[in-house]
Amino acid sequence: MKKTSLFLVLALSTGALFAQKKTTTSATVNFDATTSIDALPKAENKTAVAALDTKTGSVAFEVVIKNFNFTNPMIQEHFNSSGWMDSDQFATANFKGSIVNLADVNFAKDGSYNADVEGNLTIHGVTNPVKTKAVITVEGKKINANATFSIKLEDYKVTGKAIAAGKVAKEPTITVSADF
Amino acid sequence: MSKKGKWILAIVSILILSGAAVVWYIFNQEFSDTADRKVSFTVEANDFIREFETDSKRANQLYTEKIVAVNGIVSAVESADTTTNIKMIDTAKGSYIIFAFQQQHLADAKKLKEGDRVSIKGSCSGGTYSEILETWLISFKRCAINK
Repeated sequence: MKKTSLFLVLALSTGALFAQKKTTTSATVNFDATTSIDALPKAENKTAVAALDTKTGSVAFEVVIKNFNFTNPMIQEHFNSSGWMDSDQFATANFKGSIVNLADVNFAKDGSYNADVEGNLTIHGVTNPVKTKAVITVEGKKINANATFSIKLEDYKVTGKAIAAGKVAKEPTITVSADF
Repeated sequence: MSKKGKWILAIVSILILSGAAVVWYIFNQEFSDTADRKVSFTVEANDFIREFETDSKRANQLYTEKIVAVNGIVSAVESADTTTNIKMIDTAKGSYIIFAFQQQHLADAKKLKEGDRVSIKGSCSGGTYSEILETWLISFKRCAINK
């Protein structure tokens, strides 16, 4: 009897843990480095991996650099080249952080919540702390997390003539959207 | 202007115009429809995943940025935002291939169901190990049904 109870408690705890950590393999990350003189440097990646723990507030995402889809083949080649993202060496970018105002987000009640997210963003092998606002929308069992923020390319050691020439924004906008 | 001078001016003008035309072409070029692209490799999903699991360096060198047709069973149809991705999962280890479709072929992706046998071709972006999922993932962009 004791063994059965213990098993039940363990099984329920494990189930609860799985329910708290939500993941998706189809999060979207948009990268927009367009400027007034060049509309080409922007891309979309639809296969980012994202995780959200509704109990602890931890959030994470990973994105395969080579899976950013540009409209123009030459810009995509430049983006992946050793002078830019060097995607052969740095295949992924990732973020690990948490919702710092978790008490303001009620995952059990439908609604739209403003979340303050802080963590470390690694791009091009360089890690920097970032803070951003995110909007978390709860609708039934579905959760959507959406955040838009800017980064300074030079902070991630991404430099080049095109940036100096104003063809690529020095501070591109990154938009992340994940449905859990 | 001398006859020689006119010739030089004409040649220089032609060179400048040709250069401008090449630059214009490069900057306005777009990726072609994957449905019309020639396939470099045709593979079975589970064998393909195993190649990355056993020797990712070799597999990445071989397949990355190539048009690859993958035959397999649809394990999941993931709709998010305005897009739909198709997944083929190796149930033994959890490693998976994920296909993001080209805009003009999204409707085909939305028609697929779990369990369908299908051939999908697209630009392989290579395989990486996911720290979040603790498994291998191989991603594709600009995909279309391989008819």
